[in-house]
Amino acid sequence: MKTGMIVLAGGIGKRIGRPVPKQFLLLGGNPLLVHVLEKVRSIPEIESIVITSPASHLEDTRELIANHTFDGRFTCIEGGASRQESVYNGLLALDGYESVIIHEAVRPLVSTDDFRALIESPDENVMYGIPIPFTVLKGAEYVEGLLERRELVNVQLPQKFNASELRVAHEAATKDGLRFTEDASLFFQYGQAPVRILPGSDRNIKITVPADLIVAEALHADSLGRD
Amino acid sequence: MARTCIITGASQGIGRATAIRLSREPDVGGIALIARNAEGLAETQSAMADSGATVRLYPYDLGDLDGIPALIGSIHEEFGRIDVLCNIAGYAEPRALLDTTNENIVRTYTINVLAMIILIREVVRRVRNRPAKILNVASTAGITSRPGWLAYASSKAAVVSLSSTLADELAGSGIKVYTISPGRTATELRRILAPEEDMTTIMQPDEVADVIARLLDDSERILDGQNIIVRKQV
Repeated sequence: MKTGMIVLAGGIGKRIGRPVPKQFLLLGGNPLLVHVLEKVRSIPEIESIVITSPASHLEDTRELIANHTFDGRFTCIEGGASRQESVYNGLLALDGYESVIIHEAVRPLVSTDDFRALIESPDENVMYGIPIPFTVLKGAEYVEGLLERRELVNVQLPQKFNASELRVAHEAATKDGLRFTEDASLFFQYGQAPVRILPGSDRNIKITVPADLIVAEALHADSLGRD
Repeated sequence: MARTCIITGASQGIGRATAIRLSREPDVGGIALIARNAEGLAETQSAMADSGATVRLYPYDLGDLDGIPALIGSIHEEFGRIDVLCNIAGYAEPRALLDTTNENIVRTYTINVLAMIILIREVVRRVRNRPAKILNVASTAGITSRPGWLAYASSKAAVVSLSSTLADELAGSGIKVYTISPGRTATELRRILAPEEDMTTIMQPDEVADVIARLLDDSERILDGQNIIVRKQV
């Protein structure tokens, strides 16, 4: 199966409160984006890796790819105005691919095995998920409803989809004017096939706020066996 | 697969001794020797005559930082691979603070620090995803006060720092970074730093080269990322 990959690197650094976009922040001395790409470098089954970047950081991202000697499989394109548009742009760039893996630069602690397990899964549409260890309620100023924790899952990336079916689902969502924060939700709403949930890892954290970087540094050091 | 080693500062002292020592390692198939002094390089090569390794000489002044990428590129092209980089080239011109010229500071830091960083960068670019070893020679002068050796001693402190930083930054890539800090060693540099010393009583370059060869052996997997003091106990 011809497999491509979209790496979302479209941050502008708003929530992390730093002057550089999150994908360029350093973890263990290397940019977050490089951590992700390094895990993919050794997987030849992923034939093309499309990195979506804001127009303002296209050149920086391309320079990073060159400096870290990623080969011709790795290309950088302009993302969209939203995450959803960026994924769609990536899907267009991967026209002709049967399967697409989606990941984001801000999950640098993903492992090569995580990608391999997705590729080897017999299911076409797969996401990682971990249980939610805390109680979640609906509400803003007042509690408005209950949610059953056992029925919920914390959605993680990477995810894998049938590329053409995901593209059709995206087009339907855009037509309806609906926005989704990630693709398993969008595919569930508009796709014609089930999405398998594989057990994720509590180490594959998303770097969102400054404290996440501190945690990530500790996890990274631990993964290298440091004291 | 036979390893290819690059050795800077190979025209004399620890660099020459290391070249000779590594040329006797059965798994070393190629050695690239870099130094400014072409005559000294040729003498080093002569001393490696009994080696089965392919030896190539690269007379080059590491003060020319801009040419280093092409230098490493040509070595990589010649040998097809790079497995070991020994950064041994050093420069010393001891002066008191008020006698230290801009030229002295710049030359010392260029050879001892800046060239080393660029050499490492260019080698790392060409060995991604393969096991490799980088060995940087600092000095005990980099970890203790040396009045009168301001530029040299502080540049060696920089070597200790950049080495531990890179050991961490490259961790997980398969590239290991080693640092040794030799104490008093009977080299031309030492003759400049301590002209009155009896060179026969102190550590010899081939003793340091023995330590380097052990660190660069494939079986050594745990001593990277540390500043290893190499000092003869008197």
